[in-house]
Amino acid sequence: MQALILKDFYVMWKQTRIFLLVILVFSAIPGSFNAVFAVIYSAMLPYTAMAYDERSKWNQLAAMMPYSDRDIVLSKYAFGWLFILAATVASLVLQAALSLVWPAAGSASPAALLLALCVSVCVLDLTLPLMFRFGTERGRLLMFFIIFLVCGSAGAVAGIAPDLNGNAYFALTLSAAALAAVVLTVLSVPFSIRLYRRKRR
Amino acid sequence: MNAIELTHVCKTFPGFAIQDLSLAVPSGTICGLVGENGAGKTTAIRLMLGALRPDSGRCTLLGVDTDSPQILAAKEDVGVVLDEAYFPETLNAVQVGKILSKTYRRWDKDRYDGYLDRFSLPRDKQFKDFSRGMKMKLAIATALAHDPKLLVLDEATAGLDPIVRDEVLELFNEFTREEDHSILISSHILSDLEKLCDYIAFLHQGQLLFCDEKDRLLEEYAVFTGTAEQADSLRSEAVVGRVSSGLGGARCLVRRSEVPPTLELERPTVEDIILFLVKGAKDSCRH
Repeated sequence: MQALILKDFYVMWKQTRIFLLVILVFSAIPGSFNAVFAVIYSAMLPYTAMAYDERSKWNQLAAMMPYSDRDIVLSKYAFGWLFILAATVASLVLQAALSLVWPAAGSASPAALLLALCVSVCVLDLTLPLMFRFGTERGRLLMFFIIFLVCGSAGAVAGIAPDLNGNAYFALTLSAAALAAVVLTVLSVPFSIRLYRRKRR
Repeated sequence: MNAIELTHVCKTFPGFAIQDLSLAVPSGTICGLVGENGAGKTTAIRLMLGALRPDSGRCTLLGVDTDSPQILAAKEDVGVVLDEAYFPETLNAVQVGKILSKTYRRWDKDRYDGYLDRFSLPRDKQFKDFSRGMKMKLAIATALAHDPKLLVLDEATAGLDPIVRDEVLELFNEFTREEDHSILISSHILSDLEKLCDYIAFLHQGQLLFCDEKDRLLEEYAVFTGTAEQADSLRSEAVVGRVSSGLGGARCLVRRSEVPPTLELERPTVEDIILFLVKGAKDSCRH
């Protein structure tokens, strides 16, 4: 699986640089929405990697190499998780730096970013099975749904973010989101593997 | 042991089916898979490598059932070159090497670098900027660098210029100098197969018409060229295929054992045999 993640990383290197720039720009803008959007946007990177795979017919070759179906599917999830985590850490650092330099700017709270991390994982869990089932070409319509999910989630998280810091509901909201992310992941990964196998054969 | 074995394999797609395909490639041999476009060669290769699951029948690769969990270990001993290289286009040769070093346990970086040098492949050029010949050379380098026991080549020499093709065929010949090394190669370039193969398997519309030793095929069949009257005088069991060559001439593929020994015959090429057999199969479908 390490090989497949490395392959996606190399393939996405140019996009990764743009993505890092997006995070830098968004995280440098004061306010929760932009930083949260950057984190949730990172959940979309596996789809771009899948589109590259389809274009090069990589999957046909991979099916003949010593990769299991589980490795192929799980690598896309892992790739998404890595970028979500990286975006969260980058946003946390940049927003912390911003609040030091410009305290009045109203930077994103760590709580909002942690919540965004959980929501991003949920977005990944909900949409990756669709991509494995329909492919990225047919999944273009789904892309609008994903964008809607991303923007809606970012807006929702940013909207409730000011109420979260120090609030009694913070732990409950974050716990619920974390639980949802775990449960959805546990369900989504095996479901995607089943869809991938069915599509491949 | 057979390097590849398909037993009564069926696989149906809308508009196309592999029907009751039984084929064995003995270990240590080179088998050429021949057939028209759409005959099912690539599907057969995907079945052999476990990339497709058969509707019925059994496929084994290096003695391992393609449906068993052990197939991943067996694939460590297989090198694959498809009709295109199928690597993502933004990668370069070094990155491909790094990815595959984490894929194959026996990946040999020095050997890979050796092939890159031998083929004069640039290390830092993006794959999308490679010519077709360079892409295929890279695919061949990646297929050989983990010391496989079996090479599966699907139209791997198509689109290569004659010099590169010769170089690549020489490499395949080198590969089979090891006793337990086998190759399955599908190609439209029958002269390549004639040079390289011990066995020829011929697929036609999803069915195996024959799988036989090349030398036996070349001994069994012969080409007769003469007048239409002379061709008419041959026994019908002797004539496998016949084409009119104009001006009252005829050219026939005949079974040597069924024609008089005094008849002057030419040694056929594999291409002759395949072309006559395809024509024969088409004619029998029409009648």
